[in-house]
Amino acid sequence: MARRRESLTVLVFLLPVLVLFALFRFLPMLGAVGLSVSDYHPGGGSRFVGAANFRSLAHDEIFLSSLSTTLGYVAVYVPLTVAVALSTAVLLHAVPWGRGLFRAALFAPYATSLVLSGVVWRWVLEPTGFLQHPSLVLPTLAVVGVWKGFGYAMLVLFAGIRNVPADCLEAAKVDGASAWQRFRHVLLPALRPAVFFVVVVETMAAFQVFDTVYVMTGGGPVRASYTLAYAVYDYGFRYFDVGGAAAIGVALWAIVLLVSLTQRRAFERNP
Amino acid sequence: MRRGAWPAVLLTLSSLVAIGPFVVMLVVALSPGNAPTIPYRLPTSLTLDNLAEVLSTGSFLRWTANTVIYSVVSVVAVLLSSSMAAYVLARKRFAGREVLLWSMLSTMMVPFQALLMPSLVVIAYLGWSDTYWGLIVPTLANAQAVLLLRQFIRALPDEVFDAARVDGAGDWRVYLSIVLPLCRPVLATLAVFVFLWHWNDFLWPLVVGHSDSMRTLTVGLSTLESGNLTAAELMSAATITGLPCLLVFVVLQRHLTKTISFTGAGG
Repeated sequence: MARRRESLTVLVFLLPVLVLFALFRFLPMLGAVGLSVSDYHPGGGSRFVGAANFRSLAHDEIFLSSLSTTLGYVAVYVPLTVAVALSTAVLLHAVPWGRGLFRAALFAPYATSLVLSGVVWRWVLEPTGFLQHPSLVLPTLAVVGVWKGFGYAMLVLFAGIRNVPADCLEAAKVDGASAWQRFRHVLLPALRPAVFFVVVVETMAAFQVFDTVYVMTGGGPVRASYTLAYAVYDYGFRYFDVGGAAAIGVALWAIVLLVSLTQRRAFERNP
Repeated sequence: MRRGAWPAVLLTLSSLVAIGPFVVMLVVALSPGNAPTIPYRLPTSLTLDNLAEVLSTGSFLRWTANTVIYSVVSVVAVLLSSSMAAYVLARKRFAGREVLLWSMLSTMMVPFQALLMPSLVVIAYLGWSDTYWGLIVPTLANAQAVLLLRQFIRALPDEVFDAARVDGAGDWRVYLSIVLPLCRPVLATLAVFVFLWHWNDFLWPLVVGHSDSMRTLTVGLSTLESGNLTAAELMSAATITGLPCLLVFVVLQRHLTKTISFTGAGG
């Protein structure tokens, strides 16, 4: 009797979250796969079409170019974010005064939206023509993304640096290690877990870049900034190709999983 | 040179780059009339006219109200539902607990774009298209909030819970008079993060509402064409969209940066 009441209580406490996750996370996760193998039409029923959506994506030039565009964005955004975050974190650690003020200023863009950053930067960049240039547009979007988001990575890395025992750095200094050697051989190895975390989180974010693309370029010029996330939106809401959009979403999901698994292995292998 | 001078110089430069665009945004928004703004010339006087003008035109006030509703209701609902679940996930043993934790964790690895289409199908089935229900409820499934709260509640000393048990307190009493008060610092930080996430959210509000009256500020701002507005009006709209976040941030930044440093939460 007591046990039954106990499990009833557990259920009641879990119920809101269970319902929310069942309806809006787990069901859509199944639905994503389901839609990607169907030719769903809003209000017009659906039919199982097997891998047809994926097969047509494999020959779809727009999708294939969005794939390489996204990889290009990731290739600029992730290293740049980690580099900027790491160097500002090291500087924050080294600066003897005003640390709180610098930290606040550097983190401020993180508190606003990518849409806001996009609108303001679009306006600032308009006269430069960067956004109209097919080979400059993607790096430009990546830089805006870094400007907006590096503060988060910076804080995680800064916390990592503070966890490095001061004795280690001091000992290296006494042994005559230069600042660069101390960074390379003491700090960086100690920061591995933090760097791994940041790389995984930022890679996830980079693969999903959407807001700035939507606001600043609409995928252009000549699809030079047409990313996978933008393709999901475009296929679904401009072409009303729900199956195609779902298939791109599932492809994006698979890529993100694959990449994070690869990253995990890479970090585990080289100690 | 004094020790630490170089880091300070470099950090000053980076800080200027970080907050520069906001300063430009504010200055342009407060510039009177059609003051030439590119290249950025400082205006001789400042005015609030543009902000008032933008707020009074079109649906801007409505978008602002929608954004406030979206953010505030979400904060309350996420904190309540997550803390309830986190309590039993942290303090009770029951069949399927580990499975539940792992499946929640797994949702954090799914790009939202993959769930976009199926979520809209669910919303359509529920008859929630273009409603506040459709806008708000699907965003309340927040694995990060549940997991962060669970981590915190699990670290609370067992004695507190044992003592309550001995006193004959039921689970609701324990939840209301022990868990919630003790969790106040995490709940406060989480409240700010959920507020910022929802205030700044874009993709979901963009796709779930088709009517102008269901737009949030980010969606509304994205529909404004720079061609149809003066720079001052566009930057005023941007200011109204961003200022609440920047203010919340300025007031609470110590708190927020500390949380990220300790837990990595907030991504």
